Amino acid sequence: MFDWLEVDVGEIEAQEADAGRAGVSRVQLARLEKARAALAAVQARVGVGREPGQAPTLPLADYVADILPTGLRRGHVVAVEGSTSLVLALVAQASREGAWMAMVGMPRIGVVAAARRGLDLTRLVLIPDPSVQAPAVVGACVDGMDVVVVGPRLALSPADRRRLVAHARERGSVIVSAGPWEGAHVSVVVEGSYWAGLGAGEGRLRSREVEAVVSLRSGGPARRVRVVLDGAGAGGGEAGSGALSGEEVHRLATVGPSCQNRTHVRKTY
Amino acid sequence: MSVPVVATTRRAVLWVPDWPVVAAMTQAGLSAERPAAVLHGRGVVAVSAAARAAGVRRGQRRRLAQQACPDIAILPYDQARDARSFEAVAVAAEQVVSGVEISRPGLLMIPAEGAARFHGSEEALAGALVSAVADDAGCESSVGMADGFLAAILAARTSSLIPPGESADYLATMPVTVLAHAAMERAQRAQVEDLVSVLIRLGIDTLAALTHLPVGDVLARFGAVGVWAQRLARGEDVTAPVLRRSEDDIAVEYAFDEPVHRSEHLIPVVRLLAEQLDQALLAAGMRCGKVAITARTQRGDTLERVWRTDVGVRSGAFATHMADRVRWQVEGWLNGTAAGPERSALVWLGVLACDVVPLGSEHSYLWGGISGADSRAQRTVDRIQGLIGPEGVLAVREQGGRSPRERVLASPWGQELTEQRRLAHPWPGRIPDPPPATVLVAPAQAQVLDAGGAPVVIDRRLGLSAPPTWVRLEADRADQQALAAHRHPASGHVGRVTGTVWDRPRPVEAWAGPWPIAQRWWSEQSSRHAYLQVTLRDGPAVLLAFTGGCWMLDGVYD
Repeated sequence: MFDWLEVDVGEIEAQEADAGRAGVSRVQLARLEKARAALAAVQARVGVGREPGQAPTLPLADYVADILPTGLRRGHVVAVEGSTSLVLALVAQASREGAWMAMVGMPRIGVVAAARRGLDLTRLVLIPDPSVQAPAVVGACVDGMDVVVVGPRLALSPADRRRLVAHARERGSVIVSAGPWEGAHVSVVVEGSYWAGLGAGEGRLRSREVEAVVSLRSGGPARRVRVVLDGAGAGGGEAGSGALSGEEVHRLATVGPSCQNRTHVRKTY
Repeated sequence: MSVPVVATTRRAVLWVPDWPVVAAMTQAGLSAERPAAVLHGRGVVAVSAAARAAGVRRGQRRRLAQQACPDIAILPYDQARDARSFEAVAVAAEQVVSGVEISRPGLLMIPAEGAARFHGSEEALAGALVSAVADDAGCESSVGMADGFLAAILAARTSSLIPPGESADYLATMPVTVLAHAAMERAQRAQVEDLVSVLIRLGIDTLAALTHLPVGDVLARFGAVGVWAQRLARGEDVTAPVLRRSEDDIAVEYAFDEPVHRSEHLIPVVRLLAEQLDQALLAAGMRCGKVAITARTQRGDTLERVWRTDVGVRSGAFATHMADRVRWQVEGWLNGTAAGPERSALVWLGVLACDVVPLGSEHSYLWGGISGADSRAQRTVDRIQGLIGPEGVLAVREQGGRSPRERVLASPWGQELTEQRRLAHPWPGRIPDPPPATVLVAPAQAQVLDAGGAPVVIDRRLGLSAPPTWVRLEADRADQQALAAHRHPASGHVGRVTGTVWDRPRPVEAWAGPWPIAQRWWSEQSSRHAYLQVTLRDGPAVLLAFTGGCWMLDGVYD
């Protein structure tokens, strides 16, 4: 009844004896493994065997791991509605670790915000307005880049989108859409973002919590997730050098509500 | 200054006295009799003969020089100009001898043995050099010949030929101050002058006295400078001559028979130029990192643009890649879309390879340099630029600035990015981080209203007229409700829908500011903005700017 418990000690001993007979020691085995790992890394970097040799997911930052528990899978489409910062947060870690990124059809993207989140601007290609050639341009990006961020108002028909998804699955790139995308593998709708740090005329925007509803194409209930996108500790990348120092904040706070009710005409700023 | 031991060679030195002044006077177009001096920092660096006769000396301040000689012309110091113009003298000298060394602008070092044998005698060589330089470069020079570096330089100053073997005796009688002539750079010269002043104070007046000192003591007391000076004083050489090698730039050019107006006529020419450049690079065994495309227009303007080409990205397709780049640039110039003077026909086109590196130096291909992903991405960018033009694909960087829009530097992928404002500077008073994730391309109109519905106004002392209570942004064009509300007579006008369509007013939850940014008040690009950060109850947080009496939406923190 309990035979599955029996560990076949005899077999393990036989294996070790074989290894000993072949003269291969544990140290040599470890070295062999290391060499194989190094070769695999080089192969991945050179691009030889991109499909079989690559990892199935791209790296994802910790503070948004709740939204995509399975990670940024290659060949999948993630549609995020309502927050550009969330899109940047999802792709930031991948860009920092060497992935090439293209942003198509997002003319209003805040580049400084992208840099603060940790994206590597030297590996970021911006195509603000492909106009009529959008399907060809996005197709070319899916071919050559690791992550393609697509804006909400591109001239892509549903047939074009289906073709792009198939292409992405074949090439192993990720499509992140900043607007709705029918048939997306993961659909994230941001319902509210709550900023903290402002008062009645003092302070500055400091930390933000975002509430999002995540639903999967493969079914299952929609989840409600709260993510801290900016703020001390979690999220936001490195504290930017533009953050106010202690005295500056104090100075701003003491300005206080500087409004007066006056009726006569004054020179404006 | 380390002092390796080198065999003494017989050298001829061609010396053009006061070369910086000569070069500066030629550039300024002054005649040779005019007294002139070159000023660098606070001291005079070089003095012309007429000024020296009037009493101006090196190292004097400007005022002293002008006092000694009232109508002296003070010229600016430009090392590059000196070096450039001295090339002409070097080229003239190279017509007489095979290789020259430019020690510094004004001093040419020539290995003399072979050339003297060729010309018959040393006097003949000296005469040939002086006349060649006078004819071709148009300046007076003097030639001296001796064994050893210092002796040759001193011989050139007196235009004498020291017979072989007598250089040591010639040097022995010289005072120590002549050591300064052997220093080639300004820093070195200052060091040597310090050493000379110490030697004089110690009582060592002549080079003979210096050579009699033990080497170890000189090294201990004066350091490497002392050893260098002692070697030179003995008549030895400290560096072997390094002959100048003229390197031609790798460039191709084409002059059109008739001025070209249409870009279609350029396509075969551009392809030809790209192929020629590729062949030239291959023949020299080089690869280039940047390409400078220059064109001359009919009107006489010169247009230039530098493009990056990625080293190690492609091999066979270099010619087509180059042809594409040149064609886009020229089309841009012809259509007047590229930044530059107004459109006009082109008469000459040239492509120059910059940043050349030898082939085979792309060693980091496998082990962590340019990788397969990089080359794949570069090919993709090329393809997309072919589809929508080079201006459609942008590379972005951060640069200095105060508002989120100013802090972005965008330019077509492949072009050199030159930042207008340095990122490293502190930029006090800028909008604090975190920056907005959406920055509008051009600021849109907005309305900020107080509790009663009147617009909020910021006065010159940064006081708000009332706390902001409502914010109205521009409505989406597809928003039918806003359009209907706009058409309704209650919105304040009758008739056709004109003006901006406003969305419903959104209540303000919290706000902060104003952050004033007033820039460049003295110029035409002056701007005065006061920024406000506002969180809306049923909307994102926004960055509003008050300028010129009205409110604009600058960015959205979405």
